Amino acid sequence: MKRTSRLAALFCLLFPAAAWAKLRVAATTTDLEWLTEAVGGESVEVESLSTGDQDIHFVEPRPSMVMRLKRADVLVRTGLDLDMWADSLVAAARNGKVVYGAPGYVDASVGIELLQIPVGKVDAAMGDIHVFGNPHYWLDPANAAVITKNILDGLVRGDPKNEAAFTENRERFLAALDAKLKEWDLKAAGLKGLKLVTYHNSWVYFAKRFGVELFGNIEPKPGIPPSPSHLERLISMMKEDGVRVIMAETYYPVKGSKMVAEKTGAELVIVPSSVGGLPGIKGYFDVFDCVLNHLVDAVGVKGDAR
Amino acid sequence: MEAAAPPQGMRGRPLNLPDISIIGVVDGHLTDDRSDAYRDRLEFREVELALQGFIYPQMRADVFLALHKHEDEYDAEICEAKAGFLRLAEGLSAEVGKIHVNFGKLNKMHTHHRPMIDQPQALTGFFGDHGLIGQGGTASYLFPLPFYLQAEGGVWRAPAHHHHAEGAAEVADLSGNTVNAAVYEESEEFSMSGELFTGRLKASFAPTAKSELEIGTSLAAGHGSHYTHHKDKAMVSAVDLTFRVWPSSYAKWTLQNEWLHLSRKVPPGNLERDGFYSYLSYRFDKHLDLGGRFDYAEGAWPVRSFERSFSAIAGYHLTETSAVRLQYKVRGMDDKTVHEGWLQLAFGLGPHSHELE
Repeated sequence: MKRTSRLAALFCLLFPAAAWAKLRVAATTTDLEWLTEAVGGESVEVESLSTGDQDIHFVEPRPSMVMRLKRADVLVRTGLDLDMWADSLVAAARNGKVVYGAPGYVDASVGIELLQIPVGKVDAAMGDIHVFGNPHYWLDPANAAVITKNILDGLVRGDPKNEAAFTENRERFLAALDAKLKEWDLKAAGLKGLKLVTYHNSWVYFAKRFGVELFGNIEPKPGIPPSPSHLERLISMMKEDGVRVIMAETYYPVKGSKMVAEKTGAELVIVPSSVGGLPGIKGYFDVFDCVLNHLVDAVGVKGDAR
Repeated sequence: MEAAAPPQGMRGRPLNLPDISIIGVVDGHLTDDRSDAYRDRLEFREVELALQGFIYPQMRADVFLALHKHEDEYDAEICEAKAGFLRLAEGLSAEVGKIHVNFGKLNKMHTHHRPMIDQPQALTGFFGDHGLIGQGGTASYLFPLPFYLQAEGGVWRAPAHHHHAEGAAEVADLSGNTVNAAVYEESEEFSMSGELFTGRLKASFAPTAKSELEIGTSLAAGHGSHYTHHKDKAMVSAVDLTFRVWPSSYAKWTLQNEWLHLSRKVPPGNLERDGFYSYLSYRFDKHLDLGGRFDYAEGAWPVRSFERSFSAIAGYHLTETSAVRLQYKVRGMDDKTVHEGWLQLAFGLGPHSHELE
């Protein structure tokens, strides 16, 4: 008897999926991890392949990530070529449940109203352009309704018996999201028309949601490091138009942004773009609380920011 | 219902076209070794055309055609051409075709994808300039464990070298006894050829969320490339250890080590030869990395020879497939010291991808 228990314990240690019957989900980002947990609740076990303080364009696939995909029933990814690094992991994991087209494959971008879809020829002369459109769609919190619908569909395909629970969890999430959207709209009322310079072209969805005007980027083109001539031109344009706020994600090099801020007198705000992007950013809603607070503070500091 | 955008390798499906990409490599090489006839040149070294895509669900093809500079000529060759069965059974996959054998850390990587311009001498000494490339098949199994453990085995046929006998002579074997043996002109390159069997076992652990420790062991057993003359059976065994740490989003420390041991059985006796390299690098940001590599390699020949070298390597990465690299290397050989330098520009056009390394 004792021997049987030991064998069972060893089996559970070696094959942890057998220890509990939860649906196992791998998400490529911490935001998708958080949103999947919101929909899946207690019935899912979610692991993110990246951390919130990473540039999601630049995640290095590692063998330990392969194992998260190997044991997953569902993969939730941003799609739109942002998490292309996940493709080699999917191939290495040899898990038929999460390959493209399988029931466990969830592209969270499906159904999103995409912005900045390139027209005409796209090549590297334009920088790191995403051919399907700007992929930073989770930065409009209203898009979480579409994202969670995709997640819900994927979870139901993986675990149909929990459909009612998943649907109820999502309804609860949508109600909370609705309340937060109203709160954020009020908070962002003073930001309407704010001219904002960002490091990377990642805030178009956020800007559209909250009425912020994107003035320019520290990067001359997506993914291209700033050159002195580009920064000089940007400084001159910012001075001319009275742009007084620069926003950059936590992981980008701060040097160029800081120099521009010093030369223009603009306020530089460093913000998270994902869950875990800064200590204390533990949930998806925290990201927007933090970003809006920083912008409102910056506008408060520079009263003539608009 | 709206469909998800397909991942790379499946883009061409509506037109039934594969992903098409090109990698070009321009090399400049300076050396104070006056015996090197190809020193002090800046030239186009290689262009690789890749055609990649799915041919069936769970089955893909990757074809890499290359034009390489060999001495003063450009030779066309199939660098790799393989069909991959991604999931034959739970955890089991296989590949057939002409393949860079999964042996150690560097052998499988195409040269333009490596973090250094030259190949460590231990690999060149035991596998030749192009590394261990075989025609055959391989199967790998990913164990269902909480950590990464993959076993792989392959059966191959590799091309033989051709050279001429120069007659027979009384020679001393490794025990000091005099034996009569054929004496052949040795080519400058030893490699393995004919029928080969390879195996690799690789484990990987993540001690922290921002680090990864990989340990691997590899084996290649078969014949030397001069088997028809030397009747040499050869076996290369290897151990590799790689530790990577990501202190921030872009910064990365890499410590990579490979040790190889060659056992070559020739009629006069057994040759036991070793080689290893140790590579340490630091990536400062998305673009710049600096590193150093120490090499020690013994020659695969009966007369014992060795080479020690140290390289300093800098890389500036424009994109995932385009980079500028600089390398300085000082080589201490049996009877001389050589200083070498390289400048390399590698550029990529199109969606080029390699499997997880």
